[in-house]
Amino acid sequence: MNDMKTIYHVEGKLCKEFIGQISYTVCLDQSWDELDIEFAFSPQYFRPEDLTKERIQELTEYCKTEYPGFFSSNEEIEDAIRHGTKTEIHTLATLNDEFIGCVHKQLTTRHMHITKGEASDGCIPQSKIEGVLKVTLIVFSVLLDNTDYSLTVRVR
Amino acid sequence: MFKRLELHNHTTESDAVFTCRELTDFMVADHVDAFALTDHNTISGHSKIKKILEENALPLSCIYGMEYTTYYGHILCLNLYEYVPWENINRHKPELLFQAVREKGALAGIAHPYSMGWPFARGCRFEMDMTDYSCCDFIEISNNLEPLHEVNERGLLLWENLVLAGERIAATCGMDLHGNSSLHGHFSTYIQGEENGDIAKELDTAIRSQKTWVSKGPLLLTHIQNDILSFSVQQTGKPGYQQPEEESYLITLRSTSRTITCHLSDTIPLSEFGCDLSIIPKLYEKEPIMENLVCVSPVIVL
Repeated sequence: MNDMKTIYHVEGKLCKEFIGQISYTVCLDQSWDELDIEFAFSPQYFRPEDLTKERIQELTEYCKTEYPGFFSSNEEIEDAIRHGTKTEIHTLATLNDEFIGCVHKQLTTRHMHITKGEASDGCIPQSKIEGVLKVTLIVFSVLLDNTDYSLTVRVR
Repeated sequence: MFKRLELHNHTTESDAVFTCRELTDFMVADHVDAFALTDHNTISGHSKIKKILEENALPLSCIYGMEYTTYYGHILCLNLYEYVPWENINRHKPELLFQAVREKGALAGIAHPYSMGWPFARGCRFEMDMTDYSCCDFIEISNNLEPLHEVNERGLLLWENLVLAGERIAATCGMDLHGNSSLHGHFSTYIQGEENGDIAKELDTAIRSQKTWVSKGPLLLTHIQNDILSFSVQQTGKPGYQQPEEESYLITLRSTSRTITCHLSDTIPLSEFGCDLSIIPKLYEKEPIMENLVCVSPVIVL
């Protein structure tokens, strides 16, 4: 990606419990052969200091209420909370209102890379990369306040 | 003929480990007649599978689809060939997305309604306020790798209760395949079709007429003659299924007001069901408990 031209970059922060989309629209002023959309966020999991006794208690009670029978003990619930809860954000892109890809993988850094003949997982090759690009962050779950994210659009 | 379908599968196009080629080969190896491609929120694998099938003489078909993975539930779409935006989904009006998908000629159903959701995976549990089930073509009553009682038994009961309340919803199942998990010992969906028949049309007909079997191997067939209900079992040869003596099969017939348990050789007068409008036939081995369930048959509409 080093020699690609960056045409858009944004950084931001998400607050915990946000659910929804954030969309960015980029008008491509000329035709390009190659497009790369990079998205990154952090942190994905609770850090040890985030998992206070109160938070574990709160989540344990929730799981006991909502998921009876799934766990055999409080310890099992706590283990699931420590290792199974996550911030989950995916990325979707359209070009001139047509779907060109979505990356639905548990990655903290991801690329949507598209050319005329090839595309990365989840994406569709495009014969023409021109017009209006819309990138949407699909935010399923945010564990913590001040979760950082960045989005970069590059072309060649 | 009966066709065995695997209706819920993912690839590296979303979050699974199989490439499109590997998934296809995996299904061929297990003698599946048709498999659905239902990646999360993308249709990017469609052209890849299509190319694989065009370039290789493989004995199976693909059902193209997608699993709409939303904040409030997963909606499995079959015979879907284009991306229908879902991002503005309203938890209180999910019918709008179901209708938008169906307007494209696709089938839309609820996947694993009772899976665990937040804080582990928001959206895996179906939490939408569905008030009009007429736009729901099917419910995945077994998501094979999920917990039997906490997820699948509840999913089965949801479907049964809706059907007995008069909703015309088909039952399906799937592996929700993300990795190299054996299909043996699990449920598959079966429909009737023709050799070399158009699988998309056959699936559409089967789902819309509720003529689907969810089975680990044997298909319970029901016959009505002179208002008497009788039964037979057709074995499908599904790999991994150990066929027991026929005498060990038990059948339950659930209607609104009663559940009758009988043997394969029994005959049941329809008058036993009084004014009830539909019957759900299920086949068990030895004992009518969830662990021993081997087939859920199409609803009998009286």
